[in-house]
Parts: sequence; structure tokens; C-alpha cells
Amino acid sequence: MQYALLAYAPPEETDRAARPIPGTLAALLDRPHVTGWARLHAEESATTLRNDDGRVLLTDGPFIDSKEYLAGLFMIEAGNLDGALAIARELLLQARPGVAIEVRPILDGCFRGA
Amino acid sequence: MALDAVFRDQWGRVLATLIGILGDIELAEDAAAEAFAIAAERWPGDGEPANPAGWLVRTARNRAIDQLRRQQVLAGKTTLLARDLEAGPQPPEALMDDAATIPDERLELIFTCCHPALALEAQVALTLRALGGLSTDEIALAFLVPSETMSKRLTRAKHKIRDAGIPFAVPPDHQLPDRLAAVLAVVYLIFNHGWGGGRVDLAAEAIHLGRALAGLMPDEPEILALLALMLLHDARKTARLRDGQVVPLDDQDRALWDTRQIDEGRALLQRAMTRRRTGPYLLQAAIADLHLYQPRDWRQIAALYETLAQQTGSPIVEMNRAIAVAEIDGPEAGLAILDRLDLDHYRYFHSTRADLLRRAGRRSEAHHAYRRALDLAQTEPEQRFLQNRLDQA
Repeated sequence: MQYALLAYAPPEETDRAARPIPGTLAALLDRPHVTGWARLHAEESATTLRNDDGRVLLTDGPFIDSKEYLAGLFMIEAGNLDGALAIARELLLQARPGVAIEVRPILDGCFRGA
Repeated sequence: MALDAVFRDQWGRVLATLIGILGDIELAEDAAAEAFAIAAERWPGDGEPANPAGWLVRTARNRAIDQLRRQQVLAGKTTLLARDLEAGPQPPEALMDDAATIPDERLELIFTCCHPALALEAQVALTLRALGGLSTDEIALAFLVPSETMSKRLTRAKHKIRDAGIPFAVPPDHQLPDRLAAVLAVVYLIFNHGWGGGRVDLAAEAIHLGRALAGLMPDEPEILALLALMLLHDARKTARLRDGQVVPLDDQDRALWDTRQIDEGRALLQRAMTRRRTGPYLLQAAIADLHLYQPRDWRQIAALYETLAQQTGSPIVEMNRAIAVAEIDGPEAGLAILDRLDLDHYRYFHSTRADLLRRAGRRSEAHHAYRRALDLAQTEPEQRFLQNRLDQA
């Protein structure tokens, strides 16, 4: 079985990018059963896409949870945010109605595959 | 030229060039601010350099290099900068005398500031800061928010641009129409805020931005049309107020209209019309122009509003069409259109409706509508005008 572990954090004043991963946590991330991890930029860097009858609407900021649940995640590579939004848009238009996709830049991470 | 004027003139250009070199808005802004401060110190004594923009860019770049060296965060910067870091700072006077050798990257900067992944209010603030050279305090004052709030808004937007990777680039052709529409919407929003408020002269800022855009993309009819629209509206600025009260167009003293600005607006409108594309700003500019003639051609105005309403689906455009229709077929015909609109929150809807009710002789309804318009009015000149009408109703 594969699992995704989702980490939630309270708002913070300090710059995440300037804060290193604690050594003890880094050691855990290095263990073989961790097949990949990513640390995300703060939520102020987020952009959310919604499908409004085939028209994709962009909003600044994270997806605000209401009755929707977290259904999945994609890891993509793009040259800049426009590239990432284009890919997200394509995926969104194939997903079922009501789905939203939040695009967040990855600060650092490591992917070893399953 | 006084330093203030140079600052106004060169800020956007210098900042854009620095972002192109340094790849980071905050770093570029700090460096530009330092360079302008140094200029303020030296130029009065030494005299203004032959190429002020070049001097400012070079000085700012030297400052940024110093700062980066101190911080030793050299990784990931452009090769151009890496070379400079090896060679060390150059005296600003050594720079090219020809302004054309500095690339003008203001378009890249405008498209970055008006990126749709940023909140609209952030787009507006960033554009005024980066291209208009307004200070954070000035922007805060113009939008009636505390300085600290505006400062946070700007910082957050700059961090998003950096962290999310919003490109510093003119969008490719297939995205250009949508992205340009977003830029024009920001400029027009700034202009309209200037009209309603009258604090910092945002209308002048918007016209300044419009001129810069028209210079950078001279073949885009919607840019020319937006600039024409703003000039034609702004030309009536002085006539629009009398004794601290709003004056309706028909009662305005035409001698106070800025004819030079009207001529410029009309010439731009002509240029835009030869491109044979009918965008929303072209229609609005054409309507603004028709409003300046006496008597007004209400049939043509109504027809243009109808085309505009079809293009935009905007109920506010329908409201304006109702005003034209009322002139042609009487106030009841205009009211029939207004009754179909859902604009209860919009202050001009109630003043428009009140005016048509008054002309239709429906006095108590008119009274009620003036009352509602007065409750929603946001400026004192508007309130005085409406109070006056209410007293007469």
C-alpha cells in the first residue's frame, strides 16, 4: 500500500524559505519507506483554479475548505507559474464538476519513487 | 528638470530594467530607491547626468551588487550580473550615453503587476507603485486604507510573484488579448477611482499609464481607445464641479472644458477606429465623444450602448442605455429598462432612476429614490447635488 501524509501548519510570521528542516526531521525523511516529500511555499503563494461551466476562473490565495474534501495531488514541473497554470487548467477541465485545484510552488523536496 | 519630475519620469523604466537584471522585485526596488536617494544628494551639486536613466540603473546595480556580495547569495542570478560581480561596481558615469541601450522593460513589468493570479486590489497597488512611482503612503491614502495595510498588501504580492514564479514577460500571442484586457481593466479602475474620490490625482496617474502603454504597444486599438476615453472624460474635470457640487453635463460651462485634451482624445479615437476591431473601450470612447456634442445624438448613443451591452453583458451599460432611450422615447421607456436591472447596490442606479421618475412626474417615488441615492453617495459633491434635487422633489 502507498499512503499520502498531509501536513497542516498554523500561520507563521517567519519566512519558510529561510528556515531549514530540523536535523531530526531530515533524518526521518531519509528513511527508505519515505518515497517522496515536498515542503510547500507559504499559502500566500497559492493560486486556485475553479471550473465555471468550462470557463476556468483564477483566484489569488489558497482553496478555502468548505464541503469539498482533499481528493488527490499532482506533482508537475513547469518553467513558471503560467506553465503550471496551463497544466492545472488542462487537468481541471478533465476532472468532474465542482473540483478545484490549488497550485502551490514547492520550496524543496525529494522524490525517490515507490 | 526637477528631481521630482525625473523620478516620476524614470522610476518605472529604471525599476523594470533592474528587475530584468536582478530577477527580484524587492531587491530591484530597494536598489532603485537607494539610487534615487543618491541622485537627490549629488545632482543638485554635480549637475544632472546626460543620461539620467542610465546613471540611475548603473548606480542601483552597483548597490545591488554590493548588497548581494555582503549577503553572499550569488547563486541563481543572471550571467550578466555574475560578470558584474566579478568585475565589481563600475562608476555610473562610465555608462553608455545613449538611452536606447537600456532596454525598456516596462511592458514586462506591467504584465507582471497585472497578472491574474494576483488579487485585483494587489494588481492596482503594485501598478501604481512600480509603474507610477507612487509611495506606499500615497497609495494607501488614495484607497483610504491604513499605510500598514497597503504595505502588507504590496509585500505579499511581491512575495507571491517571487515564490510562485509569476513570469516577468510579455505574454505569448494566444494569451495576449486576455492579459491585455486585465492590464486595461486595472488602468481604468485607477482612473475611475480618481474621478469618484478626488484625493491623490489617480485620474492623472491612469492617463500617465495609458500614455506609457500607448507608446509601448502603439498598434493595440483598445489601448488607444482607453487613453482616448480617459482624456475625453478628464477634459471635463474642471466643469464637473461648481460650488462643491456635481454639475450634470448639460449644465456644465463648456468654456471650462480642456479643448486640447478633447482634440488629443479624438485623434486617438480616430487612430483606434482605423484598426477595424470594436472592443469595449473603443465603444465607450466613441460614446464619450458623442456626449460632447450639442445637441447630443441620442439615437447613436443608444445604439452604441446596445452593442456594448451585448459585448459585456453589463447591467451598468444597460442602465446608461436606459438614459439614452429616455431621451428618445420619454422617461417611462427608460424606466421600463431600469426595472429589469438588478443594481440595487449601485449608487448611480438610484440617482438615474430618481431623475427619470422626477421627469415622469412620479414625485413620491422620485423622492424615495433620491433618498436611497443619497444614502449610497460616497463623496460630498455628490451628496450636495442629490440633497439639492431631493429638496426640490
